[in-house]
Amino acid sequence: MKELHNVNVAMRTLARELLESGTVAGVYGWKKGSRPTLTSPLYIQDAAKADRLAYDQYAVSNLSALLLDHRNNDKKRAIFVKGCDSRGVVRLLQDQQITPEQVLVIGLPCPGMVDEAGSLLTKCAECRFPNPVMADQVLGGVEVSKQPSAPTGVTAEAARKVGVGSRAGERMAQVAQLEGKTAAEKEAYWAEQHDKCIRCYACRNVCPACNCRDCIFDTEKKGWVSKAATSSANAFFAITRAMHVAGRCVDCGECERVCPMDIPIMTVNRKLQQDIEALFGPYDAGVDETVVPPLGRYQTDDPEEFL
Amino acid sequence: MKALAKKNLADALALLAGQATVWVPAKVAGVTRFAPWSPAVTLDLEATPPAVSPKEILLPETESLYRYSAYGMDVTFEAVEQEVPPTIIWGIHSCDVQAILCQDDVFLSREPQDAAYAKRRAATTLVALACTTPGPDCFCTSMGLEPAEHASTDVQLHILTDGYGVEARTARGEEIVARLAEKGLLVETIEPPAKAQACTRAVNPEGIDKKLVEMFEHPYWDELAATCLNCGACTFLCPTCHCFDLTDHRRNAHEGTKIRCWDACMFTEYTVMAGGHNPRPGKKERVRQRFMHKLRYFPERYGKWQCTGCGRCVARCPVHIEITDVIKEVGEVTLDG
Amino acid sequence: MSALSPKSGSPADCAVTEGHVGLPVLDPPPTAAPDTGKTKNGEWQPYIVGFACNWCTYAGADLAGLSRMQYPPNMRLVRVPCSGRVNPQFVLRAFQKGADAVLVAGCHPGDCHYGTGNYFTRRRFLLMQRLLTFMGVDPRRFQARWISGSEAPKFRDVVTELTEQVRPLGPNRLWREVEP
Repeated sequence: MKELHNVNVAMRTLARELLESGTVAGVYGWKKGSRPTLTSPLYIQDAAKADRLAYDQYAVSNLSALLLDHRNNDKKRAIFVKGCDSRGVVRLLQDQQITPEQVLVIGLPCPGMVDEAGSLLTKCAECRFPNPVMADQVLGGVEVSKQPSAPTGVTAEAARKVGVGSRAGERMAQVAQLEGKTAAEKEAYWAEQHDKCIRCYACRNVCPACNCRDCIFDTEKKGWVSKAATSSANAFFAITRAMHVAGRCVDCGECERVCPMDIPIMTVNRKLQQDIEALFGPYDAGVDETVVPPLGRYQTDDPEEFL
Repeated sequence: MKALAKKNLADALALLAGQATVWVPAKVAGVTRFAPWSPAVTLDLEATPPAVSPKEILLPETESLYRYSAYGMDVTFEAVEQEVPPTIIWGIHSCDVQAILCQDDVFLSREPQDAAYAKRRAATTLVALACTTPGPDCFCTSMGLEPAEHASTDVQLHILTDGYGVEARTARGEEIVARLAEKGLLVETIEPPAKAQACTRAVNPEGIDKKLVEMFEHPYWDELAATCLNCGACTFLCPTCHCFDLTDHRRNAHEGTKIRCWDACMFTEYTVMAGGHNPRPGKKERVRQRFMHKLRYFPERYGKWQCTGCGRCVARCPVHIEITDVIKEVGEVTLDG
Repeated sequence: MSALSPKSGSPADCAVTEGHVGLPVLDPPPTAAPDTGKTKNGEWQPYIVGFACNWCTYAGADLAGLSRMQYPPNMRLVRVPCSGRVNPQFVLRAFQKGADAVLVAGCHPGDCHYGTGNYFTRRRFLLMQRLLTFMGVDPRRFQARWISGSEAPKFRDVVTELTEQVRPLGPNRLWREVEP
């Protein structure tokens, strides 16, 4: 993508400088994959490998959860972020999984991510935060913004053209469609989806909000859930995961993208977002580090249905 | 060669389903996987390969092995006898046939054989379907397979313009062909079967197994594992990954069922020992194990790759760690001294 | 609380014996049969799990017992330090183990022994109730109530009402753990 040529050059130069000067111990970015339409995660510790860094409209992976590998390590790591990825970093900072000293956030302009066939991802069409919500440095003239905003920086025009954020108002369409079904239909729909789950935990591992050091699904001894992928245990996993990220999900859509069984995980996350907004007021997770997530606070005059 | 016209396919499957469970690639909840055939099933014979391998037919995700009860000194065990109907896997591709041979090596080639697997395997007939249009992540030819046919199948189906060339390879296959012929579902044809197109993905694994012997401590694994999420997508989708865990389904403090379910070397708990020590504590060790097993340990033990080039892990790895890249990069890295 | 206390042991041990005339025969969760118990005349009885906070609801239930109030014996109470202790997994686990309905009950907002625990409960379960409904669970099967230590009649009424609401719904099979 020609708009991003200079950004790519700048990324490599910056990564090289950061590693050579010892400012950071490692850099998270992307590299070109085995096909021109694949851009995959990359972690480099060696300045000589900085030239492998690449960024384009296929760099869909949110790298923020990978920072968790270093939460017990004082050294600083640099991470390149798009708007959605930056919310993942805020999630980790707010959850005190990493400290600001452990991470150097470099914001990038987002051209809107596309699939291998070249069409804009749904999550990008529905995106409200195309610009980084926080960054220590930016490249490509992107503006840091904690408010829903239009794409900025060198790819602003390209992003606008492909329709980034054009369907932000329809984010809840899938939720509304399911809500319109009868209880029996909903039950059947979700039973089918939960049955598919193979419990690979890709959704959990890619998620910056799933940052427990010790997950109940990793330790069968604790007796919470069977290791066997039965419908019952799969539903238990799905709902536990959903409730655990409720009010904390940063809406990056990675869980749904990585699911090898194509389970509509984001529909559940969006449903929770919608209800949270309706019950407890507007809230965007992973935007402002100082605002506590809705399930971690309360108001004495919250809606009361349990009298 | 005998041929089965496409319009007769449903009749053929219905005929076979009368006496056996016929697993066919089908769309189930939006995913192509093997499902027992019934008229209601949406066949999907075009998927190359089906998103979920037929592994679960012979090695179910979860199965009960025995029931136990222990009240004081009064201890009883009772085997759970699985009913295994005659089974036909219809439309399996070369990569998955090869994967079954790998599973046979693991579960049947040495004593003691795995009784549950052996029972299911003995009841299974493979009807392989030629794969002529490889998917973007397929590389079976690189792993020494022929996508258009596999020697170790009971029946091989070839692709014809309007049907399938039917070729029996074993006595069991003959039986199936005879049954189809008896009902007049087969015709003679002289049409040559379609040839397989080349895989777009190619890699040369030659000598990798030997090189990996020297690479246990190589820094390459650190680099490779850095972006791995340690999820189990690759292992659970893999048709040859066969690791399992034995665990309990407890009814109460005294009674329960011992079950076997899939497990994966990618998970932390997989190698945790009773005392708490974990010999594979990090991502690096776990990722290394996965590739070492496929490309070194398995070939050392059974003389064949434990990767059949089906490309499922390549297609669905969340961070695009591709085994083809690993094979290539392992071939390229330099070994110290 | 309920006149039936689950005992460990075989399913036969757990069923109420002939002597307890009129009481429903209920299987306790650890040995949950495909469907829960029946009375002698064959009428199906819902199996309800209640999570009760130690300081209010549990005391209220105790008072109901001391006052010899009559209410259906369909609920098993699990005492928790605070309704805020109840996390979503508790509810799901109850359904997995054979509950036909789940009740979470604690102090009235403002009365929490720990000051604010039940405010978090309120947010959490307002949300979870909606999520379960979204997944096809009848909202009557999962409820929350505030019952103080002096509200024995309210405890009686809630249990009665919940039992009567769930009875027509029949057994809950969704998410029920079955032996593999």
